[in-house]
Amino acid sequence: MNKIAATIDNFGRAILDNIEEMGRILILFLSVLMWMVRPPLKLRLIFRQMEFVGVKSIFVVVLTGTFTGMVMALQGYYGFKMFNAESLVGSTVALGMTRELGPVLTALMVTARAGSAMAAELGTMRVTEQIDALYVMATNPVKHLIVPRVIAGVVMLPLLTVVADFMGILGGYFVGVPILGINSGAFVNNITKMVDLGDIYHGLTKAAFFGLILSVVGCHKGFNTTGGAEGVGRATTEAVVLASVSILISDYFLTAIMF
Amino acid sequence: MIKLVDIHKSFGRQKVLDGVNLEIEDGKTTVIIGGSGGGKSVLLKHIIGLLKPDSGQVIVDDVDIVSLNDRDLNEIRKKFGMLFQDAALFDSMNVLENVAFPLKEHTRKKEKEIREIVEERLRAVGLTGVEDKMPSELSGGMRKRVGLARAIAMHPQIVLFDEPTTGLDPVMTEAINELIIETQKIFDLTCVVISHDVQSIFTVGHKIAMLYEGKIIEYGTPEKIKMSSNPVLRQFLSGSLEGPINVI
Amino acid sequence: MSSISTEAKVGLFVLAALIILAYMSFRVGEYGFGLKKGYLVNVVFDDATGLEKDASVQIAGVEVGRVEDISLKDGKALVTLRILPSVELEKDVEAKIKSYGILGDKYVDIVPGTKDGTYITAGGDITRTGQQADIDKLLSELGIIAGDVMKITSSLKNVLGSAEGEANLKAIVENTRSITENLNRVVTQNDEKLNLMITNLGEASAEMRNAFAALNNIVERIDSGEGTIGQLVENRDVFDNLNQTLASIRDITDKINKGEGTIGKLVNDEDTVDNLNASLKSLEKSMDGIERYVSKSEQFKTFLSYRGEYLFDGGDGKGYFDLTIRPKEDKFYVLGLVADPRGSRTVTDTTVGATPTTRTETWERDELLFTAQIGKRFKDIALRGGIFESTGGVGIDYFAFDDRLQVTFEAFDFDSDRNAHLKTYAEYRLLKHIYLSAGWDDFISNEGRESPFIGFSIKFEDEDLKYLLGSVPIPK
Repeated sequence: MNKIAATIDNFGRAILDNIEEMGRILILFLSVLMWMVRPPLKLRLIFRQMEFVGVKSIFVVVLTGTFTGMVMALQGYYGFKMFNAESLVGSTVALGMTRELGPVLTALMVTARAGSAMAAELGTMRVTEQIDALYVMATNPVKHLIVPRVIAGVVMLPLLTVVADFMGILGGYFVGVPILGINSGAFVNNITKMVDLGDIYHGLTKAAFFGLILSVVGCHKGFNTTGGAEGVGRATTEAVVLASVSILISDYFLTAIMF
Repeated sequence: MIKLVDIHKSFGRQKVLDGVNLEIEDGKTTVIIGGSGGGKSVLLKHIIGLLKPDSGQVIVDDVDIVSLNDRDLNEIRKKFGMLFQDAALFDSMNVLENVAFPLKEHTRKKEKEIREIVEERLRAVGLTGVEDKMPSELSGGMRKRVGLARAIAMHPQIVLFDEPTTGLDPVMTEAINELIIETQKIFDLTCVVISHDVQSIFTVGHKIAMLYEGKIIEYGTPEKIKMSSNPVLRQFLSGSLEGPINVI
Repeated sequence: MSSISTEAKVGLFVLAALIILAYMSFRVGEYGFGLKKGYLVNVVFDDATGLEKDASVQIAGVEVGRVEDISLKDGKALVTLRILPSVELEKDVEAKIKSYGILGDKYVDIVPGTKDGTYITAGGDITRTGQQADIDKLLSELGIIAGDVMKITSSLKNVLGSAEGEANLKAIVENTRSITENLNRVVTQNDEKLNLMITNLGEASAEMRNAFAALNNIVERIDSGEGTIGQLVENRDVFDNLNQTLASIRDITDKINKGEGTIGKLVNDEDTVDNLNASLKSLEKSMDGIERYVSKSEQFKTFLSYRGEYLFDGGDGKGYFDLTIRPKEDKFYVLGLVADPRGSRTVTDTTVGATPTTRTETWERDELLFTAQIGKRFKDIALRGGIFESTGGVGIDYFAFDDRLQVTFEAFDFDSDRNAHLKTYAEYRLLKHIYLSAGWDDFISNEGRESPFIGFSIKFEDEDLKYLLGSVPIPK
């Protein structure tokens, strides 16, 4: 009986912990919003984070986007070949990239690259008392550390997604036209015919949300790190897992709302 | 003047501070001693508002900082400087940026002016030509010096030292102690030093307080402490295993 | 680290991303950033199903505009098109709603008019519209056809499936019986002709018998190891007999084809002709109606077949002439005549010899037996019931190898005095219309009539029947 009671107890505690964590993330998000509008905005810090989140992620995003587009073209080709509709490969790749894969894959890659780094960086700062030092120097760490990261995430994710979308379509074109022999005119025309401005912009809106999620989650996990170097590692892992899962779940709801 | 009144603090079920009462005199160096994990750092963090007590008052210049909001607390904090255990230098900034940080945050001084102040503070802690180095390139003692330079950059009234000599060799320990004494004199500081290094205690301290089981059990001048018959203090100072302090 | 500042890097990246975004937006957007250029023209369609706002407007496959608006006007679809300013539409252009492929989106196709220098101005109308055969229309037509087919099958079901239908079928069987009676009467009345017919038939049978007897002889000799194949081949008699047989068969079929000969003369009788004509006409009428629709579904089929069997132990030939009507894949009717040299069972009190050489010719072979059966097929099995060689019986057929092989078992002539007539055989399709069969006839006979047999058949479908039977019109 004790075992059962303990299990129930643990289960309930786990749920409570999760709810508490959600609450903490929300509070952090609100304080980020609050500090975001309080001058002065630390442009230098924002730019540095933008460079880190955006510029330094270009390579991995280009790689991911290109190969995703290529493999989509390849897979789509085998499917559409059965209906003699190979020229639809282009629009499939373009729609898939702009609406779904561009934002999601970019967000996941940036989560792995920058979200984890945010958690690790803030976690290290926490365990080496650098965050306390900020407090002592009358500087709010949320404003100094988290706001620039969140802004960078929200601004850079859509821009990276644009790159991923474009590279994906380019990759699809590269596989579809020269390798699989789809007519290039039909390929491009189907894209321009089937893809709407809305597809692109809704995808970018999603990307902005994902940027918010990954930066807030990464900062939250890092900011609340306890337990030394080991704690930093745990925070990093948890940040990546939580952010990735949140991105995929919110993707469904964002898609349901927007499309 | 800093006054701690009946401070209680628990983390979960663990009672760390159990009614601490302490007055810290202006312009003097007060050393708080006690066993490892005995709550010395927690006490120090209460003084600067990093932690809030479960009950009790922390009065800094006649203001109880426990009930202050963030903005007012930040104003109080500008009177403080703090040297953390590992200096807590910002990894992402070089020495110059680290020391200049509070100046950039809270003053409208020009870049050049700030640089001059930073160089002067660094000279005061005995460092020159390290402005462009990153914290990871510095030795432990140098990091502590840079940390001290940052702590006094804003010309604070009160400087808190969290175990300034821990992890340093005896020579460096002595150098840091000298530095604390000198800076205290030069800038006319009120210093609060946390330590368990018996050697240092009597070197730097004008007043010494012993924290044991969440309470201040002895307070006085170094001479008075040396003469104290309190068994806990006696055991602590002699480093003996025999006595009321149970290490195991 | 590098000479480029953080700000510059970020700025460059943002700029590059925005340029790509602008490029993509421009490519997929309408006329670049949704700029509203061009003039409006109206066109009224009877039906604009599937056409949507912003659908393409094309001339010869080149996009010249977009659908601006679709609204209702006097129960028709008023479609407003925005045409590029650089495109001029002649007064008599024709607008059609087309779709990309079978499942693709709809678009408006404009067929250019005559170049007489008059053009539609902004806000003008396109007066000529056309309807494009598309998948919707195709489906609706298919629906009508399906409705027709359903009507026919349901009326067929009413005719054949109901009690009334059964009664009708009975009546048909009855009619067949009376026809055969008539035939009998005709035969008796036309004794001379009958004689001629019997002679003809007799000659043919005799020649066939001779041929088969010789064949039998050869087989026996081969069996017993006598002679050589060389000797066999040099035996001119066999070939002569075979030739003669084939010639006779050809002769008979020729005569039938021309309406001459015995069968042709049989129908000389006025009554028979009238009866036949009447029934053929009504058949033709109903066939007309049925064929027109049902043939589309390729279910209704008619087969005409002849099967000849050579009974080894009797040394006799047996002929079957069957008309099979299959209104549905799994249902069929068989009407047929059987020429049994041994005659009908009413005269079987004479014992028969075991070998061909001692056979007697006392059989009443002038009597034709008839077949009328209803059958139903379940996948590879068909069950038949009805009249077998003028007596009641049942049969079961098993089909294999795409119906190339048919194994049949029949049981009929149930009589308390003797064992039932059981027959089993297998039939294999050799060529398109030619079948070979082998089996065992009457194999539980207690009158010594059991006999293995081999045979061959010719079967024709309705397609082929058209050419063979000019007198029975099967409209296609």
